[in-house]
Amino acid sequence: MKDSLLTVVRSLIFVAFALVLCALVFQFAGYNAPTMLWAVADGAFLRSGAIEQSLRWALPLFITAVGVGISFRAGFFNIGAQGQFYVGAICAAFAAEAFKGGPAFLVIPALIIAGMLGGALWALWPGLLRLRSGTDEVITTLMGNFMAGLLLVYVTSGPLKDPSGSGQQASSRPLDAAYRISDSLGLSPTIIGIAVAVGILMWLLVNRTAFGVLASLAGRNGTMVEWQGARLWKLGLSSFVISGALAGLAGTIEFMGPNGRIASGFLPAHGFTAILIALVANLNVVGTAAAAVFFGGLASAALYLPIMAGLPAAAIDIINAAIALFITARSKLVDKVLRLGGRPS
Amino acid sequence: MSNPPKPALECRDVTVKFGDVTALSDVAVSFAPGQIHAVVGQNGAGKTTFARVAAGLVQPTAGAVDVMGEEIRTGHVSQSRAAGVELVHQSFALPPSFTVAETMEFGATGKGGIYSRRGLAEKWRTHLAGLDVQVDLNRRIRDLPIETQQGIEIARALVMDARVLILDEPTAVLSPSGIDMLFARVRRLKQRGVTVILILHKIREVLGIADTVTVLRGGRKVEGPLPIAEVSAERLANLIVGDAIAKTLDRHERDALVGTKSPVGEGAGHPENATGPSVLSMTAVSTRPDSEGIALDGIDLDIRPGEIVGIAGVEGNGQKTLVRAISALADLASGSIRLAGQDVTGAPLAARRAIGLRIIPFERNVEGLSLTSSLWQNWSARELLQGSLLKVIRPSAVREACDRSLREWSVHYHNSMQKAGSLSGGNAQKVILAREVDSDARLIIAAQPTRGLDIGATAFVWQALRQARDRGAAILLISSDLDELFDISDRVVVMLSGRVNGEFRAPFDIASVGAAMTDAAARTSA
Repeated sequence: MKDSLLTVVRSLIFVAFALVLCALVFQFAGYNAPTMLWAVADGAFLRSGAIEQSLRWALPLFITAVGVGISFRAGFFNIGAQGQFYVGAICAAFAAEAFKGGPAFLVIPALIIAGMLGGALWALWPGLLRLRSGTDEVITTLMGNFMAGLLLVYVTSGPLKDPSGSGQQASSRPLDAAYRISDSLGLSPTIIGIAVAVGILMWLLVNRTAFGVLASLAGRNGTMVEWQGARLWKLGLSSFVISGALAGLAGTIEFMGPNGRIASGFLPAHGFTAILIALVANLNVVGTAAAAVFFGGLASAALYLPIMAGLPAAAIDIINAAIALFITARSKLVDKVLRLGGRPS
Repeated sequence: MSNPPKPALECRDVTVKFGDVTALSDVAVSFAPGQIHAVVGQNGAGKTTFARVAAGLVQPTAGAVDVMGEEIRTGHVSQSRAAGVELVHQSFALPPSFTVAETMEFGATGKGGIYSRRGLAEKWRTHLAGLDVQVDLNRRIRDLPIETQQGIEIARALVMDARVLILDEPTAVLSPSGIDMLFARVRRLKQRGVTVILILHKIREVLGIADTVTVLRGGRKVEGPLPIAEVSAERLANLIVGDAIAKTLDRHERDALVGTKSPVGEGAGHPENATGPSVLSMTAVSTRPDSEGIALDGIDLDIRPGEIVGIAGVEGNGQKTLVRAISALADLASGSIRLAGQDVTGAPLAARRAIGLRIIPFERNVEGLSLTSSLWQNWSARELLQGSLLKVIRPSAVREACDRSLREWSVHYHNSMQKAGSLSGGNAQKVILAREVDSDARLIIAAQPTRGLDIGATAFVWQALRQARDRGAAILLISSDLDELFDISDRVVVMLSGRVNGEFRAPFDIASVGAAMTDAAARTSA
């Protein structure tokens, strides 16, 4: 257990580094850095109602990030969470049209399943390409994001277009209130329940099943598990599909919960933030929950900054980018310092 | 003599540390010019590190190196080369797509430029002929036999007028006749006044070629350089093994471990035990060509329970493909494979493992273990794969079972959560044995199971394979070490160019096995 504690401490150190770097950037840009960081903390967690706002962002991010973690553990770099998130939302929206008028207790689960299938489908084809012909999944999933983004533009201005809509952003017809799983604030027992269930199930899958152990071995050394008789495609493809289904679930939650409709280009950074969360948490499910709350806080602060502190919302992008930088460049040095005086090697 | 010549190479109290590991400790040794010196020791004794220090590839933590009485700057290849020290590596790395002439030109001088094929060939023909390397200079490296490749590597090292030539384990990749050729070449170098230092690990090779011998053990110099006339095989064996371990080995085992004399394997052989129906039965198996090695060409092979069958052959003659074919990791073009009576020709590896196939693979750190995963995960992989993927496990229970098993195999480790990469080679191999040698094992493939292990660990692996054999398992042992093969095999099958080129029973005759390893015409069955 020492190792997982170490991981948490290490991630916190990286985040601290990133915040210091951001403070320097803000200072040089002419803002007062301490005020700025305080405003971020205030907007994320301190002011009244901030925690609820942060959780609204954290829960869908958590669900997507857990999925990303599952595929990364198995050695498949699915960076297409954004596209899977969109396709999940789109499929749920189509299902909502199809099942219109049905009883809520049937329609709501049906929409959720449709959304998960959509996300899974958007992960399935890059997974198959990788396993059948060795196509790099980083490229295909990345391309898949753009394709899904364009698909979203098409459906919101075509088949699902809301004729009464008049904004700059094309969007779908609103979901019947009976099928909504939260109000526009986006925090409801249903959503919390879904997130908790996902967390528990995925924790069990990773830590308490043969699949979890073998997928982790396969992610670190695929050759070794092949010599043990494992079929890599089974481990890899199922990890891929699970991660897609969870991203699709998050998209469905955004559609059925706070948004109540899908709009072209909505939440364009969701999938990438989720990848960042998974990496900060070192692909650990419990760590992902903690990291999701942190990044949920940042997302919520981004809305608050311009109004309350007169700062650009892009400040949050800078913080995200700085954290990404430090996490991907995780250094041996920090590991060494952490292990000083630790157990014998 | 009152004024002895300056030593060709002298190490003064050289110490090399890699992190916490001391590879060489205060090694002081000097080699007289114009002689053939052997440096021997078991794996991990520091032989290769010594060679790399002399060649400037490793910067010693302390100590100095003199060449011809002049101190050189250590840790710089250019300095060592300028002083006339050249090293031929254990696994030589000639560019496979280059022709011989191109290899000589660009490998030796490192300079580029416009050239003509004929010009290059002219330039290097005399050099190669002078070293008795008979080869068409326009052939590509990948098409040449390994002995010739080694000759070219040596010729390349000698371009710069080397005065000290170090060959690191040059015999490891050669057939017996290839070793004779190499030794003849080394003697001619001696006549030309080159000081040759041979890193070896077989006593019979040392006695056959060297003028002096130096023994390393555990990073320290134990003895030497001793004139070869003053040292007996017996004494040398004890120096290499160390008194502590020598006591635990029987004499026969020790001789096989250090290659004291020509191996015959008279101690092995229990053919009377091996009477049951074949565990493995390969009939006319050919594989489709792929990028990982040469294809099998009509292999027939039968192994019965209670029998160790050794596969001999120069590396790269289809041994890897044989293992992959039995493990369902290579595509069969024709033929059939039966395992314990069942036809498994089209069956996946998981099904074959369920029948009782176990594999100790060639590449311990790639195919055998996931170095960045924990010990218990590595250990449990085989069992976990036998059930459903969604089978619920209790990691604490698995870890306990892993601890029990690893203790039984006397693995030295801290706890089962530590990474497999933190173990020494011998302990890592024991983890693989603990996983693969279980009571349900029917056929155990042991591919180079002792490569890189020290003598204690090697003896341990041999013992484990013998015990599995005595329990009734069939064992397929692939090794490039004839001593090992002859010592523990009941039968030896020689592979050449993807075919079976001879089958032998104990007592083995090294000359005829050696002939089968290199010469397709010597297809015999004794």
